[in-house]
Amino acid sequence: MKKKRWIFQFRRIPCLKQIFRIMKLTSFLLFVMFCQVSATVFSQNNGQLSLKAEQKTISGILQLIEDQSDYSFMYNSNNIDVNRKADINYNGKSIEEVLDILFKGTNVKYRSFNSNYVLYTDDNSVVPAGQMQQAKSVSGKIIDFSGQALPGVTVVVKGTTNGTITDPEGKYSLSQIPANSILVFSFVGMKTQEIQVADKPIINVTMEEDAIGIEEVVAVGYGTQKKANLTGSVSAVKIDDKIASRSLTNVSSGLQGLLPGLAINQNSGMAGKNDVTMLIRGLGTVNNANPLVVVDGMPDVDINRLNMNDIESVSVLKDATSSAVYGSRAANGVILITTKSGKGTNKPRLNISSSYAVGVPTQSIDFMDDYARALTIQNIATSTTTKRPDLTYKDGSIDQWLALGMIDPLQYPNTDWWDVMVRNSTVQNHNVSASSSNEKSNFFISVGVMDEKGLQINNNYSLYNARFNYDYKIRKNINVGIKFNGNWSKVDFANGEGFNDASGFGFKFGDAASGVLPYDPETGNYGGAMAYNETTSLYNPYSIYNNQLNRQNRQEANTSMYLDWSPVKGLSARVDYALSYYNQFRYYAPIPNTLYNFQTGSYTPYSPVAKNAGISNYTNTGYKTQLNGRLEYQTTFAKHHNLSALFVYSEEYWYDRYQASSRLDRIHPTLSEIDAALPDTQTANGNSSTEGLQSYIGRINYSAFDKYLFEVNFRYDGSSKFLSGSRFGFFPSASAGWRFTEENFINPHTRNWLSSGKLRASYGGLGNNSGIGRYQQQEILAQSNYNTNGNTAKGFTYRQMVNKNLSWESTYVFNLGLDLGFLNNHLTAEIDYYDRFTTGMLRPSDLSTHLTGAYDAPYKNIGDLRNRGIEGNLIWKGSKGDFAYSINLNASYNATRLEKWNEFLNKGNVFLDMPYYFVYSYEAIGIAQTWEDVYKATPQGASPGDILLKDLNGDGQITAEDKKAYSQIQRSRPTTNYAVNFNANWKGFDMTILLQGTAGRKDFWLTNWNSTNIQSYLYPSSWDHWSNPWSWSNRNGAWPRLDGSNLNEYESTFWLDDMSYVRLKNVQLGYTLPNNLVKKLRIDNVRFYISGENLATFTKFRGIDPEKNTNADDAYPLVKSFAFGVNIGI
Amino acid sequence: MVSKNVVIMKKIYSKILFAFVICELLLSAASCTKDILEQEPTVNLGASSFWKTEDDATYALMGAYSAVRGLFDRDYYFDGQGEFFRTRSSSNSTTSGNINLGGAYRGGSYAPAPGNGSGFDAMYQFLYGGVNRTNYVIENVNKMLLVARPASVANLEAIIGEARLLRGMVYFRLISLWGDVPYFSKIINENSEISDIARMPITQIKDSIMADFTYAFEKLPVKATQIGRASKPAALAFRGKFQLYWACWNKNGWPELDTFTSNATAATEAYKAAAADFKAVIENYGLNLFRNGEPGDWGTMGNAEVLPNYYYMFIPSTGNPNTEGEMIMVFTHGGTGSGQSEELMRDFAGRSHEGSQLWVMPRFEIANRYQSTVTGDFCTPLIPMSSNTAGRAALNSAVNPQSYANRDYRMKATIMWDYEMSKGLSGLAETGWRPFIYKTWAAAVNINGNIYTSYDITSSAATTGIVFRKFLRNYAGLARSEGDYNWPVMRLADVYLMYAEASNEAYGPQADAIALVNKIRHRGNLPALAASKTASKDVFFSAIEQERIIELFGEGQRPFDLRRWRAIERVFGAPYSNGIVRQDTNGGNQVFYFKNASELGYQQCYIFKIPQAERERNPNLTQNKPWM
Repeated sequence: MKKKRWIFQFRRIPCLKQIFRIMKLTSFLLFVMFCQVSATVFSQNNGQLSLKAEQKTISGILQLIEDQSDYSFMYNSNNIDVNRKADINYNGKSIEEVLDILFKGTNVKYRSFNSNYVLYTDDNSVVPAGQMQQAKSVSGKIIDFSGQALPGVTVVVKGTTNGTITDPEGKYSLSQIPANSILVFSFVGMKTQEIQVADKPIINVTMEEDAIGIEEVVAVGYGTQKKANLTGSVSAVKIDDKIASRSLTNVSSGLQGLLPGLAINQNSGMAGKNDVTMLIRGLGTVNNANPLVVVDGMPDVDINRLNMNDIESVSVLKDATSSAVYGSRAANGVILITTKSGKGTNKPRLNISSSYAVGVPTQSIDFMDDYARALTIQNIATSTTTKRPDLTYKDGSIDQWLALGMIDPLQYPNTDWWDVMVRNSTVQNHNVSASSSNEKSNFFISVGVMDEKGLQINNNYSLYNARFNYDYKIRKNINVGIKFNGNWSKVDFANGEGFNDASGFGFKFGDAASGVLPYDPETGNYGGAMAYNETTSLYNPYSIYNNQLNRQNRQEANTSMYLDWSPVKGLSARVDYALSYYNQFRYYAPIPNTLYNFQTGSYTPYSPVAKNAGISNYTNTGYKTQLNGRLEYQTTFAKHHNLSALFVYSEEYWYDRYQASSRLDRIHPTLSEIDAALPDTQTANGNSSTEGLQSYIGRINYSAFDKYLFEVNFRYDGSSKFLSGSRFGFFPSASAGWRFTEENFINPHTRNWLSSGKLRASYGGLGNNSGIGRYQQQEILAQSNYNTNGNTAKGFTYRQMVNKNLSWESTYVFNLGLDLGFLNNHLTAEIDYYDRFTTGMLRPSDLSTHLTGAYDAPYKNIGDLRNRGIEGNLIWKGSKGDFAYSINLNASYNATRLEKWNEFLNKGNVFLDMPYYFVYSYEAIGIAQTWEDVYKATPQGASPGDILLKDLNGDGQITAEDKKAYSQIQRSRPTTNYAVNFNANWKGFDMTILLQGTAGRKDFWLTNWNSTNIQSYLYPSSWDHWSNPWSWSNRNGAWPRLDGSNLNEYESTFWLDDMSYVRLKNVQLGYTLPNNLVKKLRIDNVRFYISGENLATFTKFRGIDPEKNTNADDAYPLVKSFAFGVNIGI
Repeated sequence: MVSKNVVIMKKIYSKILFAFVICELLLSAASCTKDILEQEPTVNLGASSFWKTEDDATYALMGAYSAVRGLFDRDYYFDGQGEFFRTRSSSNSTTSGNINLGGAYRGGSYAPAPGNGSGFDAMYQFLYGGVNRTNYVIENVNKMLLVARPASVANLEAIIGEARLLRGMVYFRLISLWGDVPYFSKIINENSEISDIARMPITQIKDSIMADFTYAFEKLPVKATQIGRASKPAALAFRGKFQLYWACWNKNGWPELDTFTSNATAATEAYKAAAADFKAVIENYGLNLFRNGEPGDWGTMGNAEVLPNYYYMFIPSTGNPNTEGEMIMVFTHGGTGSGQSEELMRDFAGRSHEGSQLWVMPRFEIANRYQSTVTGDFCTPLIPMSSNTAGRAALNSAVNPQSYANRDYRMKATIMWDYEMSKGLSGLAETGWRPFIYKTWAAAVNINGNIYTSYDITSSAATTGIVFRKFLRNYAGLARSEGDYNWPVMRLADVYLMYAEASNEAYGPQADAIALVNKIRHRGNLPALAASKTASKDVFFSAIEQERIIELFGEGQRPFDLRRWRAIERVFGAPYSNGIVRQDTNGGNQVFYFKNASELGYQQCYIFKIPQAERERNPNLTQNKPWM
């Protein structure tokens, strides 16, 4: 290949960065994307140009082309005669035809990168003669962070205009340059490097990503914005291989610790139902406080059904300005997700990734697999109130079990139910994607499968995902595109929450008795109660988890289409239509079974599932449509003033329906359809609901001199939930930013250490209508049927009082932020302070008891909640030789305060001027060791071994008045979230460490697993019950005595634990095979990695997991997992 | 140049214009679908389309029935406040906030314990729910009446009559539990109309209740148009019952209610008026006791193929048709999937009966109240004994089935002692006869060479040694919470006994009253009352009380009787006494009630506590004296 020497000087401003700034945003984006992946130069172009001019200079013609198309040109005006005049009259010619004609007969040549054309000559004559004496040649190869060759990197001899651009293999060569010169390597989004030539004939360079490239672009509502120009509060993260490689089963937990201000909490390790909550900047309202998730412009997408590998970037819009365009739905912040497209991948690419993970519980219950001891514990407990002869279990039964349990595990089982129920989990993730683009179109397609076998037996989850993103330029100024995602999931579970069911009915793992044999494979029987005097309805969890499974599958299709059209420069119009559809089906067809008594050789009377077991079907289906029309205008005037305006009209419509039916008595247990059951007893239910939302959205951005930034937003929303007259809400916001480091009176003083600095402030309102039901504001009669002559008689009652003035709940957010970049942006810092005030929360009004028996309280706009907090994000990027690393520290603190409430507040966890759900606790003195301790304390019916409580108000008795309120401590959410991310690369090796932690939450550890007042006939004993309870012979026992005073189970400081934790969330080690090795296999890159999740947790909490909500019955732990995987790019 | 520019500009403007046209189209498309903000409910009826036809009046009335049914259909929980009935819990067996699933009864204190007038906030709240529901019907149908065609008047007035009967029943219950209560008889549209309402003295409320019952009596049909709805005799019986209570309060006093002064004259008048109403019910409508009051067949000890008539009176298939008219007023229930089923099975039976939970059970001591069919008087008290061979054989042993022979037939129909059988039910199918054997749960037992599986219940639940047969279903096909029984709120037997009581108080023992009591005794195959039992007002009263205990057992009458008679001290002992002890058939499980109870504790049984939460909202709402 012939090496070309390019000599050039950029027109207008000799700075690449600023050229890009002037270029249209779209072409800029294309170029950025193009640059970030390996690319080959291609020169075919099908764009059609139509130009007509007489005697215009070449530069003028090029300008004209730029104005009317996405093309832009770079050339050295010293080298190319652009003042030559020419006539043009082209109609429907391609850019290349035009260029060929323009430069016919000259030595000017061109090359293109996407729509950027570089004009050059082979003429070397411009190189100053004086420097040629010591001239020498240098060549080399430029690669990026991951070892990919980088084409298009600018290589310039410092202080001259002499330079070149790397070729598709990332290679360059310069000849006849002075030996003492310095080469400057620059590339958009990468850090500029300067290297002394000295005597080196070959200079290879690894380009590093710029800490925050000044040109970094983040997704904001209805568009993108340069990070430097942001005035609101937005955190963004690009999803790279390392994040996507984690063996996670949902996207939201993958975001934990990555974005300051976004608190993510995983409540269970249950497959398919891991109950992740996301909160932006604390609990914004007592109504639905979940952030709005917008995927590719489509709101209401379930984030956890996305394929992590399809995601390109995630932005979190936190303040009023940034989320204002989603105003009515955005009071709790917005999570904007952009999926990948083929843009910029001008070489077709195929990516394959695959991983396999094995998981264990982060923490287990030490279940007591010793029934004789469990019965003994039962007797010890009962002894506190019962005489010995009246104890439920006789010593003989216990001794018999103890002895025979050692030789006859069938008739005298000692089951470790935790072992029976819990297994190692596995997660498999397989993805294949392909993408490509050319001048006219680009696409990204992917399929993914995630298959999880949960920690609990028969708790399985699989999720299949397919995506197709496609854009096509049908005219020079018209684009159309489609995004389609289909997903399909399947989850099997016995109980809603794994080890229990929140509905409160059915089995709780806390009811498992070790004297029950799970299953006898020889006879096919499930064990039941056997001990003398035992309740016959003892559960057999194994039978439940084999015979009583719910099976749920769900399909979703999310499609959106757009057409965008730029009739003239700066103006664009766009129409979007999105349709999302879901169908969810659950069925429950339990297998009849009766528990077996192996001692008597007969069935017990307890049938967990009776013979006439039926089938229940539950179908939820629905769709949502959205129509958006958008107009956008951008202009620059008086050179330094940029103005853009956006107007959007949007219409959203929801339709949901539910149908359930059931029949009793399946004709055979293996059949599970409605028709396979007898029609004698059947039920059917069904309903539907609809909702509409209409919105007018506007935004104006104005910036002057790139220093002074202003933004004004408004959104005007109407919701069908409210009555005409109170239907619309208007939510405006405004913000301003000041890039003070651009000021001439500041810059000279700070530029040595402060590379960039910006001050931002914003204030505005956002709405929320989630606190009220779809038809709650309508005067409707409820069905309330009666029965006459043995038949249902239609009855109606008027039960919905309506508050005609009810309207939107509003949230006002003030945000003050500071962005700083130090030491050439090696270190960047973002700090935000906010004050978020939610007012007029939709709450039921206080209704007299004389009415509540008949009426639902009408809702009122009442109740104020304030959230204040700070967030910080620090990033350090550094490198030394081949070693490059970055450290990110992010932290956020949030304090919530309830300022106004609708109803009389009794003393409790919710009170005015306190955090919502704060700690309200008795003060424990400790466990009474002697009667003397008991007598010294306030009389409270205690005996030695009981927890003594403090009589805080000194009235001589322990009542609810003795509880103390902790005004700074929240019970259900931490106040502080923080994380440290460490990334490093060295010669193909990469390492990621994510540490995540919380603070500021305390909660009571009161569960079945540490309850000392144990149930009288069901024995959820753990070994702790054996060793921990206080007794006269165990006076150092950590727990109070068994079946002691009721006060032992009060929410007192005795059980109050600090839920703070620090967790080694993820460690990942990867190795990318050397380029030359994989090239031989015709593969672009191969990376192997190992990854671990939840590897270690440091906490003072005594229960299962400090990240979980505390629930007395829930025992599903989180998963500690180890994964191995590979990413292949072809 | 200029013209060229103009051309270009024109072109640009036309493009801009086009863009705007597109946007305009979008917007106008939007305005076509302006309805997007008008979404109509899909399952509930919009109020605007209601109150158009006569049928709408009926639908609204049915809604009121549905709301009032739940205020009475678990009255058996109240029996737990008496001495012969145990209510284990009203909170585990009911569904909070659900009027159809016992929501009104939730949280109450249903034990014979001092201060058991607390915890009835849900009952209070739902009683007022009933007030609002009936007011809604009455006010709206009254409006319809103004413009109604003459042909519709009778029907509309009957609908108002039914609603007023229901409202009368609700206020009657309110004042008998709480004394003075807020009274309103119109539709409330705003909380503010009622937020500062004060209590109205019962002397005032009395007139309104009487007016409601009287209107109902005048307008209702002689025979209910449908089972489940009210009739003229029902209205009359309730008016009589209300006057009987009024007479009792005036005779016996209600010292806990400080606005009320008793008045002996008023008492006598009310007794007379009550007796007159009851007499009219008994004589004017051709009503007769179920199966003519015949006792039916006792069957054989330990078997249940045949049971006395009293048992069948409550079974829907046999008692429902109500041809004789014993069931003067019932609240009906639907079965599977109707959303308005009763849960009698769940409450009255054990695990062996569709996995039921035995939330209520008779106390062993009730057995001694069933009299001998031979002597017509009480038998030698049963002796609690261990369930061993000796105990099974001993004379008068509580665990010897033979001790239960030759007693009131209603005992066989009401309770089960050891070795009594009932039909096991599981998975909506019969599972064969299940003998009840205390503390031998779900065991294989050999009875006369046949192997049975015994009755099953968690042993911590069954604590008395006997369980109910009354209200226990003898047919399969319904789950434990899908019952279709009709709950009796007014029975002819009750009217007989109330007549006897009222006339006895007004005039002393009357021949017709004695005859009616004997008619009821005949149902238990008991001989007529001995002359000594009707010799005086007092002894006849005792005979009436005895019949009320037996005949109305488990129907929620006993604690109301004890309160109106001011008999709590008589039954449970004076303040600071030893109270009473209850035990099981084995002599174990002893519990003491009212032991060392203070006067205040008794006072708090005679009048209930006004919900404190409402008092905090509304300072005008005063509290009853014992609860201050």
